Amino acid sequence: MGAVTYPHEQVVKFVDYNFVPVQIETSNKAMTDQFKVTWTPTIIVLDADGNEVHRVVGFLPPEEFIPTFMVAKGKWYFNADQHPEAQGMFDEALREYPNSAAAAEGVFFLGVSHYKLTHDPKPLRAAYETLMAKFPGSEWAKRAAPYRLIPA
Amino acid sequence: MALHICWLDDLAKAKESARQTNKPVLLDFFNPQ
Repeated sequence: MGAVTYPHEQVVKFVDYNFVPVQIETSNKAMTDQFKVTWTPTIIVLDADGNEVHRVVGFLPPEEFIPTFMVAKGKWYFNADQHPEAQGMFDEALREYPNSAAAAEGVFFLGVSHYKLTHDPKPLRAAYETLMAKFPGSEWAKRAAPYRLIPA
Repeated sequence: MALHICWLDDLAKAKESARQTNKPVLLDFFNPQ
């Protein structure tokens, strides 16, 4: 990450704009124990109270790092019930990185966020259909499978 | 001048900054070796 992804100009700008970045060496055993870190890189998104929002283990190239953490920031808004902002992040990830590995999770949470905001279940069904059309082999298509029962 | 991420090295300070700026914390564990 330090050789390829973190020096990438778009990654620098994205992280600076969207996050408070903090880097801890794995020699800090108190911290690795606290967060149960057993492999590097491990990248965790936390809210200001220290609650974990999202975790990634393993290398991400820049073109995957950015959409992965767009979706993670969307989940941060989602957890705070800031659904218009969450949807903005999910939409941006899907618009700019439609074929990224993170896109399927973005589709899932975009549908759930719309449902939580409106209580209309149709976005859940739409998320399922989008996942089956674009990411049929993804874990998120499987997680959305119950939404196929929602009337279109 | 090369761009670089301005990493903090103290989680407590990062959480306080997160609260003040209304941003989430990006916590990266790395092995410098």
